[in-house]
Amino acid sequence: MPLEFLQSLSEMQIVGELTVLSLLVGGLIMAVGLVVAKIVKILFYKYYAPTLPKDTAQNLSKIIYFGIIIISFLAFTSSQGIDLSGLLVAGGIFAVVIGFATQSVVSNLISGVFLMLEKPAKHGDTIQIPDMNISGTLLDIGTFSSKIRKFDGTIIRIPNEKFFTTNIRSLTSSAVRRADVTVGISYKDDIEHAISVIKEEIQISMPFVLCVPEPEFRVEELGDSSVNIQVLVWHPRDDWSQAQPILLTTIKRALDKSGIEIPFPQRVIWGAKD
Amino acid sequence: MSKSESVFSPFGIYEVKDTLCLSLPNTEIKIERMGDNAFSYFRKDSEGNIVEKMIPSKSNELELEMAPIKPLNHPAKRTENIFLKFDKEIYLSENSAASIFVHCPIEIGFFLIHDSKRDPLDWVTCNPINSRFGLYGTPDTGTLCKYAEVSLATDFDDSIPYVEGVMKIIIENTLNVGHTVSKVVFPIVNNSLYYEDSKTIIDGIKVIMKKRAMVSIADIKINSLETNWTKSPTWETSTTNTNMEMGID
Repeated sequence: MPLEFLQSLSEMQIVGELTVLSLLVGGLIMAVGLVVAKIVKILFYKYYAPTLPKDTAQNLSKIIYFGIIIISFLAFTSSQGIDLSGLLVAGGIFAVVIGFATQSVVSNLISGVFLMLEKPAKHGDTIQIPDMNISGTLLDIGTFSSKIRKFDGTIIRIPNEKFFTTNIRSLTSSAVRRADVTVGISYKDDIEHAISVIKEEIQISMPFVLCVPEPEFRVEELGDSSVNIQVLVWHPRDDWSQAQPILLTTIKRALDKSGIEIPFPQRVIWGAKD
Repeated sequence: MSKSESVFSPFGIYEVKDTLCLSLPNTEIKIERMGDNAFSYFRKDSEGNIVEKMIPSKSNELELEMAPIKPLNHPAKRTENIFLKFDKEIYLSENSAASIFVHCPIEIGFFLIHDSKRDPLDWVTCNPINSRFGLYGTPDTGTLCKYAEVSLATDFDDSIPYVEGVMKIIIENTLNVGHTVSKVVFPIVNNSLYYEDSKTIIDGIKVIMKKRAMVSIADIKINSLETNWTKSPTWETSTTNTNMEMGID
């Protein structure tokens, strides 16, 4: 009975030599190919990916996955007796048209390849793209686009062409980073004393600030209302949140404790006598 | 042990039946039974941080070991290297060697004991002000380290309870010029710690200053101690790297 059913399917022609049975076999090949590609991808992630750098693992998994699908597709076409050389000729005719139509797609694809080769940043790096005012963690450099998780938790997709041609500032390429703020003290206060109390407070209450190189103090400007001191401290690269956002608070606390004035803008007006 | 030290709990193994209170400088630990097979853990440290945990237990009793651990956890685990800056520089003339004892900061770990295994439960530092980071090298290529300014110790018995252990450092200058040594930087993760009462000693290191090609380097290797003091459990997973090379500057 099943044999007779298959026989009937093989006799049902769709186009030319293409029968319902051969189409079913082709579909089965593609389905098996997809399942195998998925399984191989999962096994790769489970057993081999942990030993590789994250970006290399992702790129390799994509190559393996799409490689198996392409092989399945070739097996499918040959099982259907489809001659791909004709398709190539047709492709040649439309190549110019498609080329114009998919200019940006191809540009993104090639940029993606260059990004994978050049590796301006790795997966998981904290980066900043000043031109686009984007900062966050690089999640993926994909075939056509790259994804960045911004610090507000949202994910932004950037076409590879733009990502490749823009300036990328890596915030995690070295072991340490520097935080800096500027604070003004009044003209009547002693600069050396102010620096000494700020330094002491930083040492006591900011455990992530490095002792070597030690905090640096520069008298930046003799301003209209205050003597402006720039404070520069180094911290481990992943602990920006433990340095930059609390540095001013720490400095203000130190100055308040010592009675050093942080002056507000003021203007002295002299009245002329008749 | 001085009178002030004696009020603090010594390192060692403690059995908890109902309540256990451990006292450390500016730190208090309390473990209490909550039920038949559960205990509560409370810690208040010198910075005012409070940590509370619940510990389910298979048996009716709880065994806990308090022991010194490497100073790598406070304020956060970021590195396995330590940068010891000597308070006095050591001058070594050509082809000479020196053996010194230095104080090295420690932290204190609490381990749960079951089936003769030690599981890390918690850690504290009794000297948070001096638990800081430092960079060895330049900002672009340097190595992040835990940083401590250390003084020379007289011998292994000179440990400062709960705060600093003693480490022996052998420095050998095989170069044909004299050198002043003001610091050592090395991965401390493979150095073992040993304790007795409230004192700590640490596996030493041997620093050999030598020439490789045209560059002067300091080759650092661990010198394991042979002692009858109790060996501390390991908090970190040790790595296979047992030596380090640093430049001489």
